[in-house]
Amino acid sequence: MDGTSNPVLLEHLFRRQAGRIVSWLAGMLGPQHLQLAEDAMQEAMLRAAKTWPFQGVPEKPEAWLLRVAHNYAISMLRRSASFGDKSASLIAALEAGTQTVADVDIEQNLRDDELRMIFMCCHPELPQDARVALGLKLVCGFSVGEIARIYLAEEKTIAQRLVRAKRLVRGRNLPLLMPRRTELRQRLDSVLNVIYLMFSGGYAAHAGEELIRRDVCLEALRLGQLVAASSMAAPRMDALVALMALQAARLPARTDAAGELVLLEEQDRSLWDDELITLGFSYFDRSITGDEVSQWHVQAAIAATYASAQTSAMIDWPAVLKHYDQLVEMTASPVVALNRAVVVMKVHGAKASLLALAPLEKNSALRRSHLLHAVRGRVLAELGRDAEAEAAFSAALQCDCTQPEKRFLLKHLEMVRSGSSFSTSASSTASS
Amino acid sequence: MPQYMLLLRDDRETVRGHASPEETQKIIQRYLDWGTKPFNLGGFALVENTGRVIRKNNDGITVTEGPFSESREVMGGYYMIQAANFEEAVELSLDNPHLDFGTMEIRDVVLNYDELMH
Repeated sequence: MDGTSNPVLLEHLFRRQAGRIVSWLAGMLGPQHLQLAEDAMQEAMLRAAKTWPFQGVPEKPEAWLLRVAHNYAISMLRRSASFGDKSASLIAALEAGTQTVADVDIEQNLRDDELRMIFMCCHPELPQDARVALGLKLVCGFSVGEIARIYLAEEKTIAQRLVRAKRLVRGRNLPLLMPRRTELRQRLDSVLNVIYLMFSGGYAAHAGEELIRRDVCLEALRLGQLVAASSMAAPRMDALVALMALQAARLPARTDAAGELVLLEEQDRSLWDDELITLGFSYFDRSITGDEVSQWHVQAAIAATYASAQTSAMIDWPAVLKHYDQLVEMTASPVVALNRAVVVMKVHGAKASLLALAPLEKNSALRRSHLLHAVRGRVLAELGRDAEAEAAFSAALQCDCTQPEKRFLLKHLEMVRSGSSFSTSASSTASS
Repeated sequence: MPQYMLLLRDDRETVRGHASPEETQKIIQRYLDWGTKPFNLGGFALVENTGRVIRKNNDGITVTEGPFSESREVMGGYYMIQAANFEEAVELSLDNPHLDFGTMEIRDVVLNYDELMH
């Protein structure tokens, strides 16, 4: 090392390369041998950690990692007896793949491997939570520990989920292939769902861990763009990318300096990420070129309406409500209906909102969630029915929620108790 | 200027091997940042699992695998650094990230015989 240059690695290079190495090796070894692909990736990372500190970053770090992992996989196949009579053909498959490392088209090849891996991880035959965990692990290079932190789960739970998922991949012989025309629609919808689940996992208001949550959101966005740029592209994929970009743009403004939640209308818009907003709008424009109107289109349209308002007071609530009406019809999701009720308050006032909430109170899943009670609390407070509002916020606090949400609810509970009703508070603009 | 050798020993129990790709990169970056300091003359990593110990005794010469098998710590590599004296060499090494992953030993390198005459 000459000591003159400061070798800075590209941000997230290892995480990105981890997914590519696993996808590339698994592409040659077959989905039966995901574990070997993962072990080889892990070994390459470890060797980098043991040598780069002294001799510095190799000239082509991405290729270095690929090659070390590739060689390790071959040596494991030679040394370990557990592959039995398959080892010779597996070694041959890997050796046939060495040319790709030197290939000028390696970028394209790696992208295709990654795409096939995405489609395999999102296979409808896997349980939904397994698809998300598998995708985060194999494609996005998150460790078991990191995934556990993202979902506030025990490491053991995530590890077991991954083991089961990989067993299913082997047992059902799920292919590492692009879906056929006939199944494309269903397979793509699963990919869209999984990517958005990843995104919302990162977007959820968990306490702390700000960085890793942002990383998950940006990874989901990257996967979306990867699929959107491939032969598997569809307008609804563009719409999903637009939705994620426009939502991710708000991440820096979603919590204040003290880590407390800030509602959309009260966010400091100067903190929104302009680049992501631009990206979001360009994908949104692309998404509406065809005839297709999916739930992702409508959700993106809502996010676009929020983003295009210059101030919170200028949000076009009637337009948002129209989108929600459409979304309720398309998804039949109670959470969507709940969000619609919030918008009804903006457009038609608290009384109408309470009427919109009434049928939702029969939904048992919603009743267990703090969201329904919290929304009811706000609407009742708006109507000056403080005692009922207090009861609603108390009910919300009985449900599972994260620490910032809890503090947010407590603050509102205090406000109704002290009689400082919402219409006189900072959120009065929202009800106009 | 006097030169010193920084011998880095890895603690096998530490997290370096269990880190995620992202964490691994962050760890490497810390070493790289330290490595660009002007007093660092360079260094090399030592491969962990190919060590041999050669001994001569009454029965002749024996070659055994090691020395890693006996100890919890294994030599991971070394840096050569330049410093005015031992105190400065120690001072310069105090912020080496390796202290989170093992121990370091600093040895004065005999560059010429004059040093030994003091």
